[in-house]
Amino acid sequence: MIACHGIGKSYGHFQVLHDVNLTIAEGECFALFGPNGSGKTTLLKVLATLERPSTGHFEILGMHGLKDKEAIRANLMFLAHGTHLYDELNARENLAFALALRGHHPTDRDVKRALDRVAIGAFADMKVRYYSAGMKKRLALAKAMLAKPNVLLLDEPFTALDSAGTEILREYVRERLSGNGTVLLSTHDYDKTRPIASRAGILRQGALREVSVEALESDDLV
Amino acid sequence: MTSFNVIRWIIWKDFVTELRSRETISSMVFFALIIILIFSFSFSMDQQAAREVVAGIMWVAFAFTGIIGLGKSFATELQNDCLEALQMVPEAKGAIYLGKVAANFAFMFLVEILLFPMFVILFNLDVVEEISLLLLVFLLATVGLSAIGTLFSALTVQIRAREVMLPILLLPLVVPVMIAAVEATKGALNGDPLVLYEQWLELLAVYDVVFTVVSFWLFELVMDS
Repeated sequence: MIACHGIGKSYGHFQVLHDVNLTIAEGECFALFGPNGSGKTTLLKVLATLERPSTGHFEILGMHGLKDKEAIRANLMFLAHGTHLYDELNARENLAFALALRGHHPTDRDVKRALDRVAIGAFADMKVRYYSAGMKKRLALAKAMLAKPNVLLLDEPFTALDSAGTEILREYVRERLSGNGTVLLSTHDYDKTRPIASRAGILRQGALREVSVEALESDDLV
Repeated sequence: MTSFNVIRWIIWKDFVTELRSRETISSMVFFALIIILIFSFSFSMDQQAAREVVAGIMWVAFAFTGIIGLGKSFATELQNDCLEALQMVPEAKGAIYLGKVAANFAFMFLVEILLFPMFVILFNLDVVEEISLLLLVFLLATVGLSAIGTLFSALTVQIRAREVMLPILLLPLVVPVMIAAVEATKGALNGDPLVLYEQWLELLAVYDVVFTVVSFWLFELVMDS
């Protein structure tokens, strides 16, 4: 569960987020829409404990966002714009490293299964340097699959993914939701998001307005 | 146990990426070779005179090549925003710091060991009897440089002019290490009795302990800011 209470964030005099109040229950996927520069990534970074809110506070799985950072980090996965992958390591090594830092040690079989599921099993021993943007995105998704986080934050997850990759991602989100996971994703792509979003909201100039998923179709600011 | 795993994996990752890219060590060695060659052709001296000045030249070369390696240590984490992933590790960040210090120490010490024979050849040094003491000086001074340097590498990594800021911030703090390392190296090269320069070795050891502990605690703040 994610609960934001009056979150504001400013950089100097520039206010990026204004009094954001939002609650996302377990088993819900909240889709965050909004034009470029509206504060979507900043909100995700605040919730991922990478940025400190200037005002307000938040809770994730009942844990305080500022006081229980380590516990939140153990239960949360943030798939960001940057894929958090090392170019000189291959897919297996990237997974082993990233998961070991989170205290997970998946078996070779689990790693193979995850890589096959995102359809890059054939490239498991290739350095990530030679991967396309879509393949990197799939590898980052495989990392999330192996980490099995309770809370998933996705920043424009459909970017660079082809239709098959998009379907793999949606399938994984559905799986997390059926396991009572909580998903918050930022996106510009209404069509790709609609099949998985339980609720939606629009951020404009840092202010969040919740709307029905259906209403988004006619909202010209999405 | 988990912290030990984090240290181990950070060292492993830095070694594997360096082994494959060879970016850090090759640039450190290349830069140091240029310094050594320039100095060796600038002075024409006998062995006794060389022993007096070579310690200073050696540590100028080691310190500046070390700064090149330290600068790259966290700069490589900016690739694909990997620094964010390190910030999100659900462990006390001290483990990441210790892993990075160990990797930086290993790279710097390796470069020093590779370059030392160049000093011996170009400055005509006779070091067979003093080699173990010299290695001790290298070890203590390099621990000090990597302990404080790793902290400042993390501190300056997000700054736009980080290549300039790292030496500006770091060099004043490593002056005690440099002075102690030069004096101890000079003493060892001259074959002086240990008692004449052991205070410099003690200073290096104290500096290593103090700055490793202080940097270990400050690293958490640096990673969170």
